Amino acid sequence: MKWLHNILEVFREELHNSIFDEGVVVFFFIVPLLYPLLYAYLYSNETVREVATVAVDNANSATSREFLRKVDATADVNIIGHCADMQEAVDLIHKHKAYCLIYIPAEFDYALMDGKQAVVELYSDMGSLLYYKALLSSCTEVSLAMNKDIKTQRLVGATDKQASTFNHPIEYEYVPMFNTQSGFATFLIPAVLVLLIQQTMVLGVGMMAGEEREKKRRGILEPHVLGKKPWEMLMGKGAAYLAIYLVVAAYVFCVVPRLFHLIQIGQWQDMVAFLFPYLLACIFFSLTLSGIAHNREVFIIMFVFVSVPLLFISGISWPSCSIPHFWKVVSWLFPSTFGINGFVKINNTGALLRDVRPELIGLWIQTAFYAFTAWLVYYRSYGKHLKDSIEVAEVKLQARWAEYL
Amino acid sequence: MNNENKSGLMRVMRREVLRMLSQPVYIFCMVVAPLIGYIFFTTLMGQGLPADIPVGVVDEDNTAVTRQVLRNLDAFQQSEIVEQYASFGEAREAMQQGKIYAFYYIPKGTTEQALSSKQPKVSFYTNPSYLVAASLEYRDMKMMAELASGAIARETLYAEGYTDEQVMGILQPIKMEMHAIGNPGLNYSIYLSNILLPAMLMLLIFQVTIYSILSEVKEGVSKHWMELVDGNIYKALAGKLLPQLAVWMVMGAVYLVILYAYWDFPLKSGIWPMALAALLLILVSQAFGVFLCELLPSLRWALSIATLWGVLSFPISGFSFPQIAFPAPLRALSYLYPLRYYYLTYVDQALNGLPLCYSWANFAALLAFLALPMLLPNRLKKCLLEYQYTR
Repeated sequence: MKWLHNILEVFREELHNSIFDEGVVVFFFIVPLLYPLLYAYLYSNETVREVATVAVDNANSATSREFLRKVDATADVNIIGHCADMQEAVDLIHKHKAYCLIYIPAEFDYALMDGKQAVVELYSDMGSLLYYKALLSSCTEVSLAMNKDIKTQRLVGATDKQASTFNHPIEYEYVPMFNTQSGFATFLIPAVLVLLIQQTMVLGVGMMAGEEREKKRRGILEPHVLGKKPWEMLMGKGAAYLAIYLVVAAYVFCVVPRLFHLIQIGQWQDMVAFLFPYLLACIFFSLTLSGIAHNREVFIIMFVFVSVPLLFISGISWPSCSIPHFWKVVSWLFPSTFGINGFVKINNTGALLRDVRPELIGLWIQTAFYAFTAWLVYYRSYGKHLKDSIEVAEVKLQARWAEYL
Repeated sequence: MNNENKSGLMRVMRREVLRMLSQPVYIFCMVVAPLIGYIFFTTLMGQGLPADIPVGVVDEDNTAVTRQVLRNLDAFQQSEIVEQYASFGEAREAMQQGKIYAFYYIPKGTTEQALSSKQPKVSFYTNPSYLVAASLEYRDMKMMAELASGAIARETLYAEGYTDEQVMGILQPIKMEMHAIGNPGLNYSIYLSNILLPAMLMLLIFQVTIYSILSEVKEGVSKHWMELVDGNIYKALAGKLLPQLAVWMVMGAVYLVILYAYWDFPLKSGIWPMALAALLLILVSQAFGVFLCELLPSLRWALSIATLWGVLSFPISGFSFPQIAFPAPLRALSYLYPLRYYYLTYVDQALNGLPLCYSWANFAALLAFLALPMLLPNRLKKCLLEYQYTR
């Protein structure tokens, strides 16, 4: 059982390195601990309520006032003031005192009395699409209710047949499922959590590999790598990261959603069966990428900038059906793509494991593929030394270091 | 003396250019990475609005009338009916599998109820776990409801000789007309790329600035660097950061060209206010990097903090989820992020085309960040001159 002993030795050493290297601790523990709290807190209001809105009511009639009063009463819009003219109102928007503007033209009442269509004009600052959404949905809601009343009044004297035609068309109902208030946290946080696992792991593992290479270049070889086969090193290291990330994942996926009352309707068995291959894929992906980490820090700068693109390429925000083919293929290289999609389906919509089969297969393929590439990386960088005894290896390395100097 | 110092500055600059050329990490992070980011975001959302989002249908009624309604639906730009499902359960499963983003549910008896004036209900289920897709579907559905629900009544009224104007007045007495100021098509790329591109550049500037300063300590050559300028920390930093600034300015110009010339995004203010904002953002990012080096003169710590701080800039600047909806402490925190001021400037200038005086406070805030490196220069100087890298 030499191999098991070897694996355990690497496992122990790597676990020790992860816990006692402050830089790695930041990525393995501090970031997964704090970032989810920060993000979930940031979006804890889920959506924007009471958007400051100004009104210009040139009609100034009972109906127009009723309309504004009812809009003001909705949850999403707050009318902070009435302006005498557009100039004044627009200026308030420009000064960011208000974000939306409701304009009721003077003809509003004449049109209503003539039986024509009365138009209400809505303007929204496009600094955020959520202002637009809040204003449009509130005003539409109010206008639908008022239209119903107006129609009933107008139909006094109409024949029964006419009345029924106007008053009973098909009603349409909008039902958001799974994220019932169309909230931002419910939509974004699960994806951020999944991505966070991959990104912190890649950075932490890359830092440690960079450190190891730096030492190797200086002629120092960690004794625990000697006499090991590349696959034994991979298994030992992988097991160490797995042990750490099982704890991290338990916190990120069980504790955080509960703390912030985020949706979580998946079966826990499915969740575990899905997240396990995700962790494995991330581990071997990290070990593969660590092959290009020639020193600790360079790796951070080269990898951090992809975090935001990875969130977008997953299809959680910009729908995957509209992602250009090229980028879709690129997205399959990253465990986060399958991880985010599968996890959101299980966690948010209660999908079963069989519903996420494509993602699950993707993760297992990535696990196998990256395990192989990680083995190549380790074979190339350590294969030469691993067979040597510790003395021979150090002599060789020191000779190379002397040459380099 | 003066002459000698001047040449010292030149020598540091020359040395920096050589360093930048000799280490691939500089070329990657200063040129390749920003370009990848620029191209990624603008091509990902190239069309501005996702087209043909897959939508399902459950038509339990299956009459000539409901089939007509469904045919109308397919004509909308954002949605495409890809599949008919036999039951509500099947459609829900398809939604859970992510095959469709929404579905219409027409219950049995809809047509009969419509004909006997019982006001049947057609439901539209979306999955806002994919918020963008669901929001667009909502818009399509609203339009559809407006057009389709009045279809029967409209035909009756036309037959009775009413004019278009009168018909609309009867069916929909009050109508909403929505104007999205500056971005009438609700183009998502305009909404997001305008900030994502500079934000990525900012993040890279943080990191490269820190790496270039503190890796000198790690390599044990920082003393040599300081000797070239007789230990003058300001000259040392200027000599190092000016060549980088030149590259960053080119990369800044590249994103301005991509956004406002190639994709032709709204630029009501003309290019100069945005060019100024971009230049300030670049300078502030460099200044912030220097400040972090002063605060934590250790390569790994300064880089880690820059990373965490920089990544947080994206949500906290408020360009996607508005700042007014943050909890109060984070609303206050957002003012410490330079990207917030860049975003506000962009809204005022490029999107709304206001006179520069509306943005003076944002420019002033960005300028204030430039003073950050003046706070603790001696701490960094001491580190550069004395610190021995161990490990």
